[in-house]
Amino acid sequence: MTNKTKNRFNMTPYLFIAPVFILLAALVVYPICYALYLSVLDTNLTTRWDFVGLKNYISIFKNGNMVKSLLTTFEFTVVVVAGHLVLGTVLALAMNKKRPGVSAFRTILIIPWLLPDVVVALLYKWIFNANYGVFNTILLRFGIIQKNQAWLSTSMAFIILAVVCIWKGYALIMVNIMAGLQSVPEDIYEAADLDGANKWQTFFKITVPTIKPVIATAVILDTVWWFKHYTIIKLLTDGGPGNTTSTVSISIQKEAFTYHNYGTAAAGAGIVFIVCWLISKIMRRIMDSNE
Amino acid sequence: MSKKKNSSVARHKTAQGILSYFIMIAGACMVIFPILWMAITAVKDDAEIYQMNGAILPQAPVATSFIRIWRDYDFIRYFGNSLIVTLIAVLVALVASALTGYGATRFNFRGKKTFLSFILMTQMFPSIMLLVPYYKILSIYGLGNSLPGLCVVYISFTIPFCSWMMVGYYRTIPVDLDEQAAIDGASRIQTFLKITLPLVRPGLVSSAIYAFITCWNEYMFAAILLTNDKLKTAAVAIAEMNGYYRIAWNDMMAASLVASVPLIVAFIFMQKSFISGLTAGAVK
Repeated sequence: MTNKTKNRFNMTPYLFIAPVFILLAALVVYPICYALYLSVLDTNLTTRWDFVGLKNYISIFKNGNMVKSLLTTFEFTVVVVAGHLVLGTVLALAMNKKRPGVSAFRTILIIPWLLPDVVVALLYKWIFNANYGVFNTILLRFGIIQKNQAWLSTSMAFIILAVVCIWKGYALIMVNIMAGLQSVPEDIYEAADLDGANKWQTFFKITVPTIKPVIATAVILDTVWWFKHYTIIKLLTDGGPGNTTSTVSISIQKEAFTYHNYGTAAAGAGIVFIVCWLISKIMRRIMDSNE
Repeated sequence: MSKKKNSSVARHKTAQGILSYFIMIAGACMVIFPILWMAITAVKDDAEIYQMNGAILPQAPVATSFIRIWRDYDFIRYFGNSLIVTLIAVLVALVASALTGYGATRFNFRGKKTFLSFILMTQMFPSIMLLVPYYKILSIYGLGNSLPGLCVVYISFTIPFCSWMMVGYYRTIPVDLDEQAAIDGASRIQTFLKITLPLVRPGLVSSAIYAFITCWNEYMFAAILLTNDKLKTAAVAIAEMNGYYRIAWNDMMAASLVASVPLIVAFIFMQKSFISGLTAGAVK
């Protein structure tokens, strides 16, 4: 009897998980609760702490800017993640067979993912610089353009930003697809070959379904990751020209630290969280139902 | 007949090989050219940087930028700040997540499922959501505008993913080993330290690299939470070189190279366990 009770209330596992539990409660749950509290206030964080209920949330939906930046963010995320998926798949397939030199190529192809966001943003800002950028120099040499262009101040800014973010992030998807491809047993391919399946059929009917769970996880993480991305956008275009590249992270940061509407910024962040959560739920549902 | 078929299969295989190499080489160029441009810029002198549509290759390579970033910009301090904050955040996360990985896979206890989904949930919060509350909270507790404060923020994002990785790793280690150790009279903590910890070392390495890269590269919190010039991290200091009236692109690219190379070198040495760790959660 005593032995049984002792087993039932074993403290040891709780001691093992205590550090993580306490740290997460203090460093994630508490700030999130604090953000929710701020989101119902009109505050400058020092002297003004007025309760306004859901006014901040309502004003976000009434004010066109935030809705517009949400749409920009969706567009940005779709383009970037699609780019990662295409580039990642093509490169992973090319590196799937054991050929001499493949591991060296793999190392090189992971480098962009290792570089700091700050470095990537500034490097491309320099490459696309209006007066001294090498992109202009090369286009001029080949006679594609007649005079220097301020690329990041034109309507091209969004596309350039997306391309830079695709360049920075495709490696995560690539690495995951490579791992997935390696888990596909070789004999399935041989069987398909014997049955007379062509390359495309083999790819879409065998490879894709087998590695789908792997891709699904990576794509969901990637989507949530780029939906909330901040650094490259901030440093490369800072939301400009106009608002054309102003994603929600940029809008929220400006709302808080330029206009000092901390309550509205907190409410906006809450909406971003809900959207991220919905995206991952919906994507999970779609990918599971296709099985 | 069969010979003919074989030769067509062989030709098909060669074509595929050529295509694969073509794609890999194109991919490698796409990666290398921009980085090469970073290196080329870093060894150009000031006059050459500001030459409109000048020569692409450096006419007279110089190392002045690499000297200036230490002499004129105090990058020793900035890299030091980055290193301290990053190392502490990584160490705390590793210790805590190794304990959790062990606890969550070796025991059955009430609330285990809830605890695991709690860890997963905390990874989903967008960092922008934590920005405004941390801005206020850190100053409430006297950590505003300080390196320990930034460290606290970094721990809040290293813990969730390190824990998740370590739980995944401990799952791959058979529990029989623990039972055997218990029969031999080892205590729980001995088993944890002497038996399982050495076995999950690849998991610890990949968690550590991942956490290191995340903290070393972080910009948003460091730029907004720290306003004291002496406390800047390397990422913020490099980004601020962009704010001057006349941007010293060569110095900036030199600093960028210096900030990136340690990551690439660390990665090359540890890439095997790193890649297996990155994909461990996905492939089961």
